[in-house]
Amino acid sequence: MATTVRAALSPGGWVIVLLAGLSTLFVMARADTSRSGLDMWVFARPHHEMYLPNVESWNANQDPDLNLYLLSLPALERRMSSGFLSDTPVADLIEADVRVASRAFTGPLKDVGFLDLTDRIRESGIDEEINPPSFTPWTSRGRIFGLPHDVHPVMLAYRADLVEAAGIDVTTIETWDDFIRAMSPLMADEDGDGRPDRYLLNVWETQIDTIEAFILQAGGSYFDEQERVAINSEINAKVIATITTWITGPGRIAVDAQEFTASGNRLKLEGFVVASIMPDWLGGVWKHDMSDLSGKIKLMPLPAWEPDGRRTTVWGGTMLGIARSTQDPEAAWEIAKHLYLSEDLALQLYESNGIISPIRRLWSRDFYDVPDDFFQGQAPGRMYIELAPSVPRRTSSPFNQIAKERVRDALTRLREYAEQEQLFTVEALLPEARSQLEAAHADIQLRVDRNMFLKAGAKGQR
Amino acid sequence: MNTIVGRSRWTPLLFLAPFIVTFLLFTAYPLVQSVNLSMHQTYGPKTSTFVGSGNFTQLFSDPLFWKALGNTFLFALGSVFLQLPLSLGLALLLDRPSVRGRLLFRLIYFSPSLAGIVFVALLFGPIFEKNTGLLNVWLNSWIGFDLEFPWMERHVMTGLIVAGMWMYVGFNMVYFLAALQNVDRSIEEAALVDGAGPWQRFRHVTVPAIRPVAGFVVLLSIIGSFQLFELPFVLLNNTAGPDNRGLTVVMYLYQTGFEVGDLGYASAIGWSLAILLMILAVGLRLVLRRYED
Repeated sequence: MATTVRAALSPGGWVIVLLAGLSTLFVMARADTSRSGLDMWVFARPHHEMYLPNVESWNANQDPDLNLYLLSLPALERRMSSGFLSDTPVADLIEADVRVASRAFTGPLKDVGFLDLTDRIRESGIDEEINPPSFTPWTSRGRIFGLPHDVHPVMLAYRADLVEAAGIDVTTIETWDDFIRAMSPLMADEDGDGRPDRYLLNVWETQIDTIEAFILQAGGSYFDEQERVAINSEINAKVIATITTWITGPGRIAVDAQEFTASGNRLKLEGFVVASIMPDWLGGVWKHDMSDLSGKIKLMPLPAWEPDGRRTTVWGGTMLGIARSTQDPEAAWEIAKHLYLSEDLALQLYESNGIISPIRRLWSRDFYDVPDDFFQGQAPGRMYIELAPSVPRRTSSPFNQIAKERVRDALTRLREYAEQEQLFTVEALLPEARSQLEAAHADIQLRVDRNMFLKAGAKGQR
Repeated sequence: MNTIVGRSRWTPLLFLAPFIVTFLLFTAYPLVQSVNLSMHQTYGPKTSTFVGSGNFTQLFSDPLFWKALGNTFLFALGSVFLQLPLSLGLALLLDRPSVRGRLLFRLIYFSPSLAGIVFVALLFGPIFEKNTGLLNVWLNSWIGFDLEFPWMERHVMTGLIVAGMWMYVGFNMVYFLAALQNVDRSIEEAALVDGAGPWQRFRHVTVPAIRPVAGFVVLLSIIGSFQLFELPFVLLNNTAGPDNRGLTVVMYLYQTGFEVGDLGYASAIGWSLAILLMILAVGLRLVLRRYED
């Protein structure tokens, strides 16, 4: 046999075998370059910069070491999902945003890739300290899988320079109808190009997060507290019918000036948009991306859908989760608390990003009262904190993203229907809005019903 | 003697072994496994439940799948009936010795296909943008076109077909240019002497000569169109666009498998696509054979 094998290979073949063997030995002998300690992934550069000094001080004084990695959100999402789905390595701590984290809740509860933190949070009294709505996006089937990073209440940011020059008193605005009535003089066509010089509001059928924020503000939602599909509600129908009248027809007041896009920023800088809805985190983004707007912007509570209605909503959210695969859950929990519950970090979070902490005892701190030149000397922190208790609860359903897309589709079809039938009042559009939402509801319900892992007691097989 | 027998028995197997092992490991096994997967509802590869033909039954009543299929067909039609005639036209034009600088033009038309498809998507994003997009601004200054015209909201497939055309017209032109070298010049000259006009020469001399390559290019275009993914994915910012107007079959497969985690349903989509492509390929082959006969 040995003779046969030896004879089967030419000298060239033996060279290949030799090279293969040597390279195998080389790879096996390479020093392990992985760092000791725990790993943490974050997706936001400002968070990364903010955590670095804290991580350094932790590593200097505490064990085990923490290695912080900045990943783009899509990269984090894919690595996290792949890791959770197939047990490939993930970081011990993962900072995930609301769209990404809910992906982990698709399967059976026992397969959620994040560690169940419910008992730890309750035992340490953190659930009492943190604004309750901040937990809901990270709570699936009654279990909490993440430590909330924020509250993200929403206000209305408006071009104070334009509004005040036109002599408009925003204190008279309580509802969206008031807003349109008071601000409409700003839509005049003074340059005579046949279209308004500016539009009052930045919202469009494709802005799925903004639409969800409006629906939540009005008291609607895509899923109820028991995570049942609730897209076909009357409130949702009224909201999408109203938004349709805002984006098309003779009563149009809105324009599409999307956040994070050059064209959207240009429209805002040129004063083509009077007002945009603004969560606390977006203020930081505007300051960075559109510093020319400094001193021209002011904040006010969102106009309500009804008199005495809710004057805020919620948009965005981040949590810190601990991977179930971590070798040291206790250390990871200590690090999570160190990063998310510290007062120093709350201060940095506000100063560098404009984000208010979800920890209620910190809301009385002075740093939230510091006037901000970007907002003409207003103290946005204090204004957001006043609205924070009214922030609506949200779902953690893994189907929320697809539900947002279906509602966007319903709104698109409703806008087309309005243009086709020349119907531009809320009352006239309501029947079609109900019908479109009914179709979206049925589609999501079908997908939810198909997922046998989300049903009570479902275990799946391995 | 033993050595010679041993050499003849083992040598071919040893040479074939790398291919056989990699084929079994990376092609045959995943294929078999994906058939198995398509009969399970899964949450990643760890958790699954047998559903038999449930995924396929669900798929055929899934409006999103049909929407994706419709969009993909539309793109394929655009590729075959717009892109390929344009490629052929360019090839015919740039095959004429009388065209000055034709080598440079060939390079220019071919060069977009050297850019990655993601780059093309990023390039066309600002072109199709509302208000500030190059296309709308240019059309507005030229014919007073509506600056707010939403290409990527209401005419997604048109945008995708145009972007695809920009990228692949030159690429397919190269195939046709190569095929045109097979046209027998003596037959063409004979046709000319017999009084055949340009259309008759094209119809009866050029087309028969390039038919095998044309059939191959059509098949490649159809397969490529049905695998459309990166272009809409990047151009529509990781979504399928309003009302799923940019959703393609492979995009739906990706969303189902890697965003929802249902690899079983994604496998069912993949196999449906594969079967459809096989039917189309066989159908095309039969049509071409009929012409050859």
